[in-house]
Amino acid sequence: MPDLPLSGIRVCDLTWIIAGPTATRVLADFGADVIRVEHQQAIDPIRVGRPINGERTTLNNSGFFNYFNRNKRSMLLNVRHPLGMELLHRLIAISDVVIENFSSGVLDSWELSYEAQKTINPGVIYCSISGFGHSGRDKHFTTWGPTAQALSGLTLMSGLPGEPPAGWGYSYMDHTAGYYGAIAILMALHHRNRTGEGQHIDISQVEAGMVLTGPAILDYTVNGRSFRRPGMPPGNHAWEPAIAPHNTYPCAGEDRWIAIAVRNDAEWLAMVRAMGEPAWANGGRFSTNASRLAHQDELDAGIAVWTSTRDEYRLMHLLQAAGVPAGVCQSPGDRVEKDEQFRARNWWAAMPHAEMGEASEFDGVTPRLSHTPGTNRTASPLLGAHTHEVTTDLLGLSNEEFAEYEAMGVFM
Amino acid sequence: MSGPLTGLRVIEYTGPLGQLAGKLLADMGADVVAIEPPAGSPARAVGPFVDDVPGPDRSLNYWYHNTNKRSVIVDLTAAEGVAAWKSLVAKADIVIEDCAPGELDTVGLGHASLRPAIDSLIWCSITPFGQAGPWASYQATDMVGLALGGPMMMNGYDAEDVPGAPPIRGHGDQGYNTACHYAVQGILAALLYRDKTGQGQHVDASMHEACSSTTEVGLPYWFTQRKNVIRQTGRHAAAQRTEPWLHMAADGRHALIFGVGRDNASWKRIKEWFQADGFGKQLDEPRFDEPAARQPGRGSPEAAEVMSELSRFIAAHSADEVYRGGQERRQSWGVVRAPSEALGDPHWEDRGFWTEVSGEGRDAPVRMPGAPYAFSATPWELRRPAPKLGEHTAEVLAEWLT
Repeated sequence: MPDLPLSGIRVCDLTWIIAGPTATRVLADFGADVIRVEHQQAIDPIRVGRPINGERTTLNNSGFFNYFNRNKRSMLLNVRHPLGMELLHRLIAISDVVIENFSSGVLDSWELSYEAQKTINPGVIYCSISGFGHSGRDKHFTTWGPTAQALSGLTLMSGLPGEPPAGWGYSYMDHTAGYYGAIAILMALHHRNRTGEGQHIDISQVEAGMVLTGPAILDYTVNGRSFRRPGMPPGNHAWEPAIAPHNTYPCAGEDRWIAIAVRNDAEWLAMVRAMGEPAWANGGRFSTNASRLAHQDELDAGIAVWTSTRDEYRLMHLLQAAGVPAGVCQSPGDRVEKDEQFRARNWWAAMPHAEMGEASEFDGVTPRLSHTPGTNRTASPLLGAHTHEVTTDLLGLSNEEFAEYEAMGVFM
Repeated sequence: MSGPLTGLRVIEYTGPLGQLAGKLLADMGADVVAIEPPAGSPARAVGPFVDDVPGPDRSLNYWYHNTNKRSVIVDLTAAEGVAAWKSLVAKADIVIEDCAPGELDTVGLGHASLRPAIDSLIWCSITPFGQAGPWASYQATDMVGLALGGPMMMNGYDAEDVPGAPPIRGHGDQGYNTACHYAVQGILAALLYRDKTGQGQHVDASMHEACSSTTEVGLPYWFTQRKNVIRQTGRHAAAQRTEPWLHMAADGRHALIFGVGRDNASWKRIKEWFQADGFGKQLDEPRFDEPAARQPGRGSPEAAEVMSELSRFIAAHSADEVYRGGQERRQSWGVVRAPSEALGDPHWEDRGFWTEVSGEGRDAPVRMPGAPYAFSATPWELRRPAPKLGEHTAEVLAEWLT
């Protein structure tokens, strides 16, 4: 076994959907023993989330679930059964971290508030992730990723001027609330290493979104300017720093695009040379950033004529060779099949999964630690695959007790 | 009470790409020293500026991303500066820099040159594409990172809404932010390893990898079906077209509707709300009683009728009424706000979310976002605003090097 930075850390993982499992994916990648506590009567909806491998859902064949739950164990536990709740208490007692992302109030209804958890495990680090946090007048409101993106301002900050918001084509704030969860837990573990003290961490998914809009908020509180104003959001033109050209340009082929960002006059001159010094681009009209900004539509039109008959990867290599920031708008398939950087860095991985195939696919672990890198060790666990092993190895049940409990419906 | 990272010494040498990483550590108690060239960090040249007047201490972007740090000018092109850098590095627990791969090492000041001699040092390099590989020396801005990493190709418009629309980059430097979120995860994992063993290490953080790992179902669809999801207006990219989520309200703002009455109890509450206002009389018909038939995406005539009645209802109400009314009836609905519109929402006052900061060009402190997490024992804290250029040069050199 390679040395992992979080080996020896145990996580009682009560999370579901995406935000919570993202946080525990980070912890698991770096070596924590993450034990998913799952419930047959309230199944994680992502276990039946598309894409599914095959025709029908089996609770174990979701590619969506597989991606977010690698390196973890799964146990089934009926927390409505007194013996199930008692086993959960035993798991909390031997865990470093307890994490959940239910609506606020759910763990209180299980009589597992932070105060209650502390009586079971005085040093416990309890992280909750909810839409609006565990305090405040709207704490009972609920979110999915897109709700948090809308309320925090992120949805409005993405789009073409004069059009409806384009927003985010995925739950950016499920990922990112999970990242803040992982960061908070790691900080709390460091504090506990020094002092022995645990704590409760209350994360609101909407607040985690609002902290990603700081300069836009300050532009309002200092300069009185809201992001909701004519011309904003500016599509793929730059907001700040105000530079041009800065846009996406069509390339040869269907729905192929390259993003080009010219940061200064030297890069513009390099780009003009890369374009073969077309007449329209030479001369005073575009010679300074201010004049390029003033004639941005004309500039974009000229560049688009150049790009629209060309291959997007060749354009990128050509511009990068000239020192100009440029990148293909890559689809997921492009990233896996065409991206030379990912391939050279051995970014893609495969691990066997009983229902997803011998080589179910994954990405790597980032960032890369030189001495104890995170690793891909196991694909996502089958529902309840580790119930016996966790309850007998860690929670003290004998095989006979396990059979009795199972017959009583404790493991469902 | 003080933050969980109190006592840690961090050196940061960053511009727009890496500056959030140091803020996340500084806001939780670490002593983060931002090393700057005499002209200042390139991040100081990024607007918006106070009253739109540029200046090293007037960047609001810098104000936000550099809270709780101290600024020290070190000229790495001068012998004295080189010596100061090496002395400061020797005293640090963590170094964070976002220079091009190899740039610092060509003058003997990077991780390859300095870290091996300091066993306990954690050194994080944040770059667009990582330390090695064919694109390692490629140039990237935030947009280029979001293009190659994949987020952009999943954001945009339905062809019916905006024909020929390109993939769209969301603003706010979210590629840089995501790079820093991952960088800090790696730094902290390395810190916990050091807590156990005393051993430091190098952390190679790539914006490209970070962005690619932040695209939800994008990769799972490719991994399992060899299929690319398609981008759609204001909602998730998906394998097939789905129903709209954004609906224009009476006040010109958009309400975000995410499912309607998934269970019969909440459906009853929604229906009564509509009907009390004169909408949706026909929804009493028994054919609407089946939850599955009501859900968008099923293609049933009932779902289409529910959506159309919902749109009419929303068009007659303000987006906030729809948001609050929906949430009170246990629907995870929202309103598309500008970032500053959250300042008027009393829920965030209740939680003490906002913080106040002062800076050049304004006499009174102004509000900005505070903590992304509420720690019960070691809370987030604003100890000092972003530093003026070189404000702490003498202070830090005296403190750290004597």
